Order: sequence, then structure tokens, then C-alpha cells
Amino acid sequence: MTNTPNRRNFIAGASVATMVAALGAQARAATADDPLIVTLIIPSPVADVGWGLALFEALETVNADYGEAMQLSVVENIYEGPDADRIMNKAVADGTKFLVAGSFGYQNGAMQIARRNPDVTVLHASGFMVAPNFSPFAAQYSQGTYLMGMAAAALSKTGKLGSVSAFAIPELITSLNAFVLGAQRINPDIELSIVWLNSWFDPAKAQEATAALVAQDCDVLFSNAQDTPSVVAKAEELGVYSFNLNSSMKDYAPNTYLGCVLTDWSPFFRASIEAHLAGSFEGQSAFLGVGDAVVRVVDWSADIPADIMAQIMEVEAGIADGSFSPFTGPIMKADGSEGVAAGVTMTDAEVIGMDWHVQGVTTPLPG
Amino acid sequence: MRLPKLVRRERASLPVLIAAPVLALAIAALGNLVLYAAIGVNPVAVFHAMLIEPFASYFSMSEILLKAGPLLLSAQGLAIGFRAKIFNIGAEGQFVLGAICASAIPVYMPQASGPWIWPAMLLLGALGGSAWAAITAFWRVRLNANEILVSLMLSFVSLQLLIYLLLGPWKDPMALNFPHSVRFQFDALLPILLPGTRVNVSLLLALLVTVAAWFFVQRSFAGYQLEVGGLAPNAARYAGYSQNGAIWLSLLIGGFAAGLAGAAEVAGPVGQLQRSISTGYGYAAIIVAYLGGLHPIGIVFSAFLLSTLYIGGDNAMVSAGLPIAAVNVFQGSLLLAYLIAATFVRRRLVWPQRTRA
Repeated sequence: MTNTPNRRNFIAGASVATMVAALGAQARAATADDPLIVTLIIPSPVADVGWGLALFEALETVNADYGEAMQLSVVENIYEGPDADRIMNKAVADGTKFLVAGSFGYQNGAMQIARRNPDVTVLHASGFMVAPNFSPFAAQYSQGTYLMGMAAAALSKTGKLGSVSAFAIPELITSLNAFVLGAQRINPDIELSIVWLNSWFDPAKAQEATAALVAQDCDVLFSNAQDTPSVVAKAEELGVYSFNLNSSMKDYAPNTYLGCVLTDWSPFFRASIEAHLAGSFEGQSAFLGVGDAVVRVVDWSADIPADIMAQIMEVEAGIADGSFSPFTGPIMKADGSEGVAAGVTMTDAEVIGMDWHVQGVTTPLPG
Repeated sequence: MRLPKLVRRERASLPVLIAAPVLALAIAALGNLVLYAAIGVNPVAVFHAMLIEPFASYFSMSEILLKAGPLLLSAQGLAIGFRAKIFNIGAEGQFVLGAICASAIPVYMPQASGPWIWPAMLLLGALGGSAWAAITAFWRVRLNANEILVSLMLSFVSLQLLIYLLLGPWKDPMALNFPHSVRFQFDALLPILLPGTRVNVSLLLALLVTVAAWFFVQRSFAGYQLEVGGLAPNAARYAGYSQNGAIWLSLLIGGFAAGLAGAAEVAGPVGQLQRSISTGYGYAAIIVAYLGGLHPIGIVFSAFLLSTLYIGGDNAMVSAGLPIAAVNVFQGSLLLAYLIAATFVRRRLVWPQRTRA
């Protein structure tokens, strides 16, 4: 696949090797007393909420354990392209030994760094490439959004749900599918409309999309991978329920906040950093959920009926102990064909590569 | 209330000419020092990262050249139009179209090989940029639609087109729905100019375009016509110079240069078509063009200055832990101080005399 060496990436690699060597010459030699330099690079600003904040806070938590022995550096708002490649190389030349590349768009550049610097460990968000010192990581948001779907269906009067979503990549599609499947458990006829923003961070467009969905009678909204509270705040203004991922936005919607599918990356980061320091790090695809204490639902709305809440808790316990998966058949695809046969559960690999919508999603996938 | 007026100097005095930029730099630096003290960042580390580190090694200097290339190319094309008072604000969209058109070859012929591929991609990209700018020119000439608005709006359209292609027909089939094309084959990548760096032959093209722009502006009749049209539209009309011709020429040249820059970016450091191919090069090129006084030689300096500032800003985030907002403040205040200084080099402040009624 993408990992096959050939003339092109050999030459590209060779030129990167030279440039890293040139940069590395000026970096001071590491000694045993030097702290481990951990660098986080993300495409949006570390704001008060959202994805960037979740990664940053988790690294800070781990840093607090290590104290002086670890030094955390954050490079925010970096476009996914040649600039990011240069900045990651610069960070490694400056002594970074543990790099967290916080967006799928950094994949090629981050992978080159991992190949050329075997002593550097790279964690890469949402990607699909793996190397001995390179792990892609993703959250099983679907486990939380399934529970949110149950709550949403109980509160929706119109039977129409809406979502403002970033990119139609499998990770986000999976979250949306689980949301619909959870909702259908309570109300089999429920529907979901999606606005694809093609941006992680665009407050103005997110607000417009929210208003458009509400105008189409959607009365529970899912702010999917939006690094701004715009959807949640606008939903409060328009009087409809909303929820989001990564970090709580309850302050932006005190009355209509449905809850938050929180990600706490600190257990994963702590384990990875420990493995790096012990020299036992092994690159592998990390797909983490409720059972790993990475995904958790918090700030449940008090408006959710007690009987529904009891059902939600029951399902959550099943997800945590592995006895329940949102992706167990029968599941029909949006186009009417069979997605998953009755009694069959999708494997992690199948979920990670999910590129179709379930029945009930009315907006076709872009492209 | 009486306001002072800016009066053009007969000639700029030499001490002022030297003192102004130095003073501007000093004032901007001082203002930012206060800011760094307030947010608790070591100012020495910041200035070292911003102004010294970009020149500290062969590789980091080469990165300045790499980043200056697209700025230089796009700005040279824009400046020709700006001199004729044709305001093409849509270089960003023309850049994106250049990238898209260039990518058509490796996307549809991923197995093709031969030395013709990258030159053909650059040509296709430049023509694509021109074609995108032609839409603006057409509506300006036909309906007198404001070219600022049309070209700017078309930039947003171009992004939608890019995303459509990446999510649909041009998506890499192996990449699990991630919005990017296949990685380009070796022959679809520009040859490296400086070994061990990412600087490619597009830098030579940018310098070639600079020379061509200089000849066009200084030596050609068409350039003269455009200049007269910009400075004195009535005189140009009286002389029989076609206003429509000026619009077409300005936009086509601007689109050609920006499209070439976009093609060089995907065939250069990016190596595939993806949604983030431009870091706002098309908009930054407007600053570069004006900072360089709309003069082909001045633009060379301003392109390298801005490129250095961008890379220095990135360095400051990595090495000195400066937040992105403070980086933007530094870059903005430096440009602002320089523009104010440049104004006072050419003009002086005159307070109105009190006159009796």
C-alpha cells in the first residue's frame, strides 16, 4: 500500500535525512539528565474547548506526574502541509523525542520523521499508517454517540436530528452512524440530516449550519469534531438540544446541553510515554473507547426521562465490559442494502474503515 | 478641528531613508517586548527564534527560499494588475485552480513516466489559473461587475471545487475516504535545485518571471499602456488605449502567475493534491506586492522578507513557546510600522496654518 518503498519516496526520504542531519548538528546532544521533550502539534488553536484542549490537557496531566523529567511544548494552528513538515522537523531537531501529531493531515510528514528518526516516537491522530515507532490513535466516539442517540430520540419532538460535522472521514461517519443507531433503538423512524463543513474550526460557518438545520425542524444537534462551541451556543439561542465531543461545553448552553462525549487521552499518553522511556514502545493502531477509560459521557441533561436514563446506563455498562457493540447486525445501509448481517459484529478494522451511512441518515455522503 | 496633512516631499533625505526602517523595526520590537514581558515569555529567545534561527543553517535558509517562491510568483503577477488599478484579490483561487489542473496529470495517469510530466503540469496549472481569472475579467468587461468581489468570491468557489474532487472523483482509493489524492509519481515531482533541501526548480521560474515582469513593466508598450490606464484613465482613453484590453491582460497575467505557483506547490513540497495546499499564499501575495512598492525588484525583497517572518514566527512557537496570537501580533506590527515609516520617507506632516477670516 502506501508503505512500499520506491524511487520517489526514497529520494524524498534521502533529502529529509540530509536536512535532519543538518538541523540535528546544532541540537545539543541529549544526556541522561535532560528532560524528555514532548511536542504536540495541532491544526486549530488550543482554545477553551474541543479537540486541541483535550490533547493538551491530557499531556499536561502526564507532565504533572513527571515534573522536571518531561518538558511539554505546543505548536498550535498549524496548517496541514509543507509548513507542518518543516515545523515537525524543527521540533525534532530541537530535541523532541516524543511527537504527538494531532491531525490526520500530518500523516505523510509525521511518518517521514518516524522513519528517519528511529529514536523518536510519534503518535498520529486518526490516521491509518503504522511503523515500529509510529502509532495512529483514534477514539471510539461511537460508543458515546450511541448513548447520546438514545437520549436524543427521547427528547426529540420532530423525530429529526441534525449534525454539523467536519470531514466525511470514517472516524466521523462512524460517530454519526452510532448516533442514529442509538436513536433508532428508542424511535425506529428517526432521521438524521448532516451539514459537512469541511473544517475543524470555522465558527461563522458552524453557526450558519446550525441555524439551517433548526430551520429544517431538527431539534437535537450533534456538534461533530467542531473545535468551537458555536453549534452548542447557537443551539441554546434557538432553544434546541445539542451535544459535542472531547470537552464539555455546558457553560455555553446551560439550558439545552444534552451532554458531552468526553475524551481523556491521559491513560493512553501515559502508557505510551512510559513505553517510550522504557524502550519498549511498539507502533500499533490504538482504537480506544469506554473500556480503556478514554471515552466517557459526562454532563447528562436533567431533562432526559428517568426510564431512558436507566436504559442508557445499562447499555453503557455493556459497552464498558465488552458485551455490547453499537455495530452488531442487522444494520441496513442508507442505500437500502445490507450493511451488517443479523448477529454479526463489525471488527475494529471494519469500523475504522467505515465509509457508508446507516439507514436513517438522509444526507448522502459527499463526493 | 484642524487635521494635519501629508505632503509629498520634494526628495527624501538620505538620513531619513536609512533611519525610517530602522526606527520602525525598533518601535515594533519595543512594543512586542512589552507584550512578551506581560505574558511571561523570554524575549531574547523569541527574537533569536524569529530573526536569527531562519539564517542559522543551510537548511533553514533553504526553507526561506522554498516559502518565498510561491509568494514571489503570485505577487509579480498581481502587481502588474495593481499598477493598472485592476484589483485581482482572487489569487488564492487561481492558485488552487493551478494546483488542481496540474494534479490532473498524475491523478489520471499515475503510471506515466517521462521528463515531460512536470513541465506539462506547470503549464496546465498556469493555464488553469488564467482560465479562473478569465471568469472575473469576462464579467468585469461584460457587466462592469466589480473585479474585487468576483475574484474574491471565486476563491471560495475554488475551495469547494477542490473539496469536491478530493471527496469524490480524485480521492485516493487506498486512503479510507481521507480527502487527498494519490501521492504523485516521481516524474510528476519538480527536480530539486539545492541538494538536501526541498528547494526545487520553481524558484528559478519565479526569478525568471521576475525578469519578465521587469521587462514588461519597464520596457514594453503593453506595460506602458497599463501604467497610463492606472495613473490617468482619461489620458489612456484619449490615447485610444483599450480599457477592456487592460482588464483582460491584468487578470490573465495575475491568474497565470498564481496558477503556476499553485502547480509548483503540489508538484513540489506537497507531492499530492490535498485540501490544505495553500497557507493563504494568494492573500499574502497582495501584501508582498504592495510592500515591494509594486516594483518587480522591490517585490523580490518583500517576498523574502515576508517568507523570513513567517518561518521565524513558526520557529518562535516551537523554540520559544510563543502562542500563535503573539506571533501574528509581531508580524502585523512589524509590517504596520514599516508601512508608516515608508509613508514618512516620501511624505511629511504639515499642520495647517491658522488663517483669519
